Amino acid sequence: MPGIDQALSQAMEIPGVLGTGLIDWTSGLTLGTAGRAPHDDHDAAAADTSEVVQAVMRNTTFDSAGSDDPGMEDLILTTSGGYHLIRFVHTAFDSQTYLYLWLDRERANLAVARMRLRDLAAALVSD
Amino acid sequence: MGLPAPPPPPESAGVLDRLAADRVTGALRGPGGCVYLLNGAVYFVECSAAPGFDVRLTAAGRVPARRLQEAADAAGARPDGGRSLVSGGWLTRGELEICHLAALLDAAFFVLPLPPDGTSFTPGATHWLGPVHRIGIDALLRATARRRALLDAWHSWAAVDTAPVVAARPRGRDHVTTWWQRRLLAHADGRRTPQEIARLLGQSAFLTLLETRRLAAAGLVQMPRDRTGEPSGGALPRRHPGAHLDERTTGDGAERPTASWHLPVPELETTPEPDVDLLVRLRTALEENL
Repeated sequence: MPGIDQALSQAMEIPGVLGTGLIDWTSGLTLGTAGRAPHDDHDAAAADTSEVVQAVMRNTTFDSAGSDDPGMEDLILTTSGGYHLIRFVHTAFDSQTYLYLWLDRERANLAVARMRLRDLAAALVSD
Repeated sequence: MGLPAPPPPPESAGVLDRLAADRVTGALRGPGGCVYLLNGAVYFVECSAAPGFDVRLTAAGRVPARRLQEAADAAGARPDGGRSLVSGGWLTRGELEICHLAALLDAAFFVLPLPPDGTSFTPGATHWLGPVHRIGIDALLRATARRRALLDAWHSWAAVDTAPVVAARPRGRDHVTTWWQRRLLAHADGRRTPQEIARLLGQSAFLTLLETRRLAAAGLVQMPRDRTGEPSGGALPRRHPGAHLDERTTGDGAERPTASWHLPVPELETTPEPDVDLLVRLRTALEENL
């Protein structure tokens, strides 16, 4: 039954990870961080990734029409140097948070990292 | 009929800054709600305009109201209600932390920034949840300012903020909505305001306001009628002087007046006619990309 800090510690064990955080996408507020952030600025990473999430959330293109929940799972941005993973945390009550994972492209396995982050997001809110 | 109010000036922490610098513990009560501090950092915010920690959990059916009341009642001089909910198996630690923060942020949006006057500080006062998570005042003000900017982008439709939400069904086209908007429209019964819908569903009052404004901009929520009770729609927002090029001044050497952009007039935004509706939606899309 991990809390945010434990979940972020476990995220730091994902191969190739550089840094991680739990962020509210409506405000860019970080609930916790671990490791490094691009340009050593966790707050900027939170604000910037939350803007990406807002852009996705306000558009109908990415909406799973007819479903009982927003249906949003993850966002993946790849660059020549790294991977940025965003995983939505689904809670039984209303909330707007995601786990953010920054990975070194040379050392990370994108598929593995995505599965691990999915499991961490689920474990955060389940018994 | 004036233009919409300008956005508020840059936020200042004021009294909160001083309390943070002094690393105080206690409760600061303002006109809109209450900010709880522990050693100068915020660990909870309460506000009647936003669904609280308990409302979110009970509305979702996650924790019974009775259990939350027991946890609140049991909290003594060193409150630890949040931890007791986790140790009792009612919530995971992660759920406690996320729900706590969601409630805190939503209340902070309506409470901050505090006015310079009209606040009272009670040293040592505590909240029953206990210090689940603490946030620096600067970080909280930045988060609240970002939310404010998101809402201000739709300020032309601010009239829907406090009115009962009435769903509209413009003719002639299919409307695609997001999951959030569908849920909001499903509870738009013409009686409840956005805040009342937020409370009923235990969901973010801030997001409910934002989505109500966006739905109004898309023509899917009616703008409230004006004071005379007359529907205010059916026409394009009036042009303002200077918003066009005057054809009479196109003679030789005459200087053309510069076209200037004016904010739309929200009272004139109800647009039952499909053509007008299309123009308003086009303008909305353009403004979004400014």
